[in-house]
Amino acid sequence: MTDIALTMQDDLGNPRFNRGNRLAELLSRNGLIIAILAIVIYGSLASPVFFTAGNMVNVLTSMAIVGIVVVGMTFVLVVGGLADLSVPATIACGAILSLALQPMIGPIPAFVLAIALAGACGLVNGLLVGYIGINPIIATLGVGTIVLGIVQAAVGGVIVYGADPASAALVKSRVLGIPTIALIFLVIAIVGNFVLSRSFWGRWTIATGGNYNAAQASAVPVRAVKAGAFVITALCSGLSGALLGLTLQSARPLVGTGYEFSAITAVVVGGISIMGGFGSVPRAIAGLVFVQLLTNIMVLQGVRTPVQGFVLGLLIAGAVALDVALRKRGAA
Amino acid sequence: MAMLSGVARYRVGLILGLTLLVASILVPGFFGMTTLGLGLDRGASIGIIAIGLTALLIAGQIDLSGGAVFALSGIVSIVLQPSLGIWPAACVGVAAGAAAGVLNGILSVVFRVNSLVATLATMLIFRSVAHWVTASQPVAGIDIMFSLALAKVYFDIFTVRSALFLAAILLLHFWLTRTVPGRNLFAVGSNASAAEASGISTDRMMFLGFVFASTLAGVAGVLQSLATNTGSPVFGSELTVAVIAAVVVGGTRLEGGRGSALGTLGGVLTIAALTTAMEFQSVPAYVQQVVAGFILILLVVLDRTVRTGTPTHAAAVASA
Repeated sequence: MTDIALTMQDDLGNPRFNRGNRLAELLSRNGLIIAILAIVIYGSLASPVFFTAGNMVNVLTSMAIVGIVVVGMTFVLVVGGLADLSVPATIACGAILSLALQPMIGPIPAFVLAIALAGACGLVNGLLVGYIGINPIIATLGVGTIVLGIVQAAVGGVIVYGADPASAALVKSRVLGIPTIALIFLVIAIVGNFVLSRSFWGRWTIATGGNYNAAQASAVPVRAVKAGAFVITALCSGLSGALLGLTLQSARPLVGTGYEFSAITAVVVGGISIMGGFGSVPRAIAGLVFVQLLTNIMVLQGVRTPVQGFVLGLLIAGAVALDVALRKRGAA
Repeated sequence: MAMLSGVARYRVGLILGLTLLVASILVPGFFGMTTLGLGLDRGASIGIIAIGLTALLIAGQIDLSGGAVFALSGIVSIVLQPSLGIWPAACVGVAAGAAAGVLNGILSVVFRVNSLVATLATMLIFRSVAHWVTASQPVAGIDIMFSLALAKVYFDIFTVRSALFLAAILLLHFWLTRTVPGRNLFAVGSNASAAEASGISTDRMMFLGFVFASTLAGVAGVLQSLATNTGSPVFGSELTVAVIAAVVVGGTRLEGGRGSALGTLGGVLTIAALTTAMEFQSVPAYVQQVVAGFILILLVVLDRTVRTGTPTHAAAVASA
């Protein structure tokens, strides 16, 4: 599998494949950094509130919740699994169960159990996608519907409230002015980056996404790797949901709606191809930073929510189309 | 194994029969004309969208934005009523659906974006536009009497909507099995480059497939809005899974190249029977979702694991 990773790097560095697209390469490498800088400059000029510590902490907090999902979603895209649409369900699973189970088994076991059950949902996704070979979108759409239905049925379709204020205080606390939740995100991101770029599992993930048959021929356990990506995403969104539930101290069944799009947007805007085989956690997080800052500015400027959704939709479509276009020019 | 593949081949009929049997046992009076007519009318919305999706899936592409187009077209047809009148507004609504399909087609066929991601993005866009136009509130039409006329039941069982759906299914069946473009559609779905090499314009067929699918989603949305005299941005949010389930129950493959109109009819009737039966037993909406999800997963797994027909060497190699 090392060979595959090396060959792929060779391909990227091979002048034959890059002739005449210096600009395209520059844009695809540094475009995001330029875009982030541009939006920071625009934001500080357009709104006096933008560059204040309070606003940055807000951005960081909202970034942390979706960011944990982004780390997982990166694995799904890199392994060539298209996308995981069961994220809203697994977030709801984490949020609702971590609150609903508190009175019965205590806050910490509830937290752990909620994440574990979310991971179990991911295992179902993984088995369907990796071992049976079902289209990931269909599988995760179906599993998501089922899981959300079961979670709603389990709590009777109502809003659940937290029973343990201490756990909420812990999640909402700050260390040196930085929200704890952002620190948790940082840890997850570092671990995710280590796994994807430094460990054998990450090498297998990239190899499987790059060329499934070649990876299989090189004795990579492709099915397990593919399934694993969905388990990782589900564990991440379960954690994200549990943290969200504790922060809000209430959870309704539709609490996770929209997070799958935010996560996919961030990863795709980060320049990670949906065709798989390429990508890293820092890139995805750069995409996330861009999207979050953009959203923040839209909120500060009073842009209404539907318009924000519209802009994000355009951003996904545009980023993916650009990715395909750059790829075509790179391969020509 | 022979029996198993036989079961797999005629599973649509089998599943429909079993569903009707269970429904008639559990729901008293299920086979009354009123219930059947109601069920058929319910199924018509899913069914009309499913017709478009069947054609698109056969061509090897998918559209996840159907539910959002459904809502958007309905809203357009309601919002424009005061200025244009009912019929022209309805036509503009359908045209809005077709325009949505053009956007999907441009993204997927011209820009070569994977159709799942492209239509996921456009779903977000269309849904946002629907919320935007209506300020997230349901909007009401101008003439409630027109809705009542549209919801009228003819011959004890057909509404305008369900009759339209059945007619459209027959047309689709004829088109897929008896005409050259219909046959070409299967060729495009099974092997796009081979079809291209045999002189079929695959890009054009796929593009038209997207337009067809969205136009029909638009028709379904307009009919729904006219029948309820309301346009709402949340209409159709639960339709995606139901429609895909209906088409897949009907034996259309997600990878393209296989499918039939009559299969989709069976799938739609099955989903409609299930929904009606569950609603009569006042099963909560989320349990209905679980059931729809389970059926979808179960059938896709079945489709993957049980192959129809005698396995040839080529098929064995292809599936390995």
